[in-house]
Amino acid sequence: MWELDSPTLITVLTIMFSSIGIVLGCVVPAIMEGIATKHALDGMSRQPDAANDLRTTLLISMALLESTAIYVLLVILILIFANPLLDRFFV
Amino acid sequence: MDSVTPQVIFTIFGLPITDTVISTWVIMAVIIVFAWFIRKYKPGIAEIIIESISGIIASVMPDDTKVLRFLPILGTLALFLMIANIFSIFPLMVAPTANINTTFALAIVVFFAVHVYGIFVRGFWGYVKNVATPVFILPLEIISQVSRTISLSIRLFGNILSTDLIVAIIFSLIPFFLPLPLAALSILTGVLQAYIFTVLASLYIASAVEVEEKETERRRLKREAKLSSQLTERIN
Repeated sequence: MWELDSPTLITVLTIMFSSIGIVLGCVVPAIMEGIATKHALDGMSRQPDAANDLRTTLLISMALLESTAIYVLLVILILIFANPLLDRFFV
Repeated sequence: MDSVTPQVIFTIFGLPITDTVISTWVIMAVIIVFAWFIRKYKPGIAEIIIESISGIIASVMPDDTKVLRFLPILGTLALFLMIANIFSIFPLMVAPTANINTTFALAIVVFFAVHVYGIFVRGFWGYVKNVATPVFILPLEIISQVSRTISLSIRLFGNILSTDLIVAIIFSLIPFFLPLPLAALSILTGVLQAYIFTVLASLYIASAVEVEEKETERRRLKREAKLSSQLTERIN
């Protein structure tokens, strides 16, 4: 692998670490959203009167959690489609 | 990268007009015609829409807030985003919120609306005093204002762009029937993100207004205590 020339090496490394990054960035927020939903559903089934408040809070917190996954996706889109390292070093 | 960056359709006096701008114009025309039609022929539907949007806003604000004061900007945001997020399901159109310039402009509107409403209801020095007590909170407050503006814009942009990209990728692989459930998912995400954006904007505005009500309550209590002490003095 180390006999590759530098742009190819950077591309290969970028793709490898993008895959690892998108896996981590999807798995961790998904687990956390599952935990948040679990506790919200527990609260809703225990107190159906508070279901509306809980649903609003759940949606807001899910969006805040989801946005971390979106940040990872944006960084990886930039790395794959418009890699700044390739542009800077090897025009 | 061509699917991610906006395409220049034509130029006016050297000013490039992208497909995002054209979609935004179409959405503006749709909203204006829709509003005119509803106002002229079906006023009941307008009532239902206003009731539901003000219900959403009132659910995150403190109980005795006058929601109608904030309805023009937040309702406009909700209507525009609700149509703009699902606009890529129409042929030849792109969703304007899949371009970061649109979402960042909307987030800057929300950023200034928070301060304008805060100054509007509290007065300039009252608002500054509210933001900067104690003084070492002020840098943290500035950082939080800027970072939540950026996160508001990037969240909307990333969600809409990613669902559109997923539909486009699946469409380029298997063009028959399989993109349909993903397009339905993109509609669901779009409506949910419009709701989230509106709710977060009303939360930010509520955080600038809520303290004001506590302050007026405290002033009222102080005034009543002063009055009662004067009364007792006068009686004595």
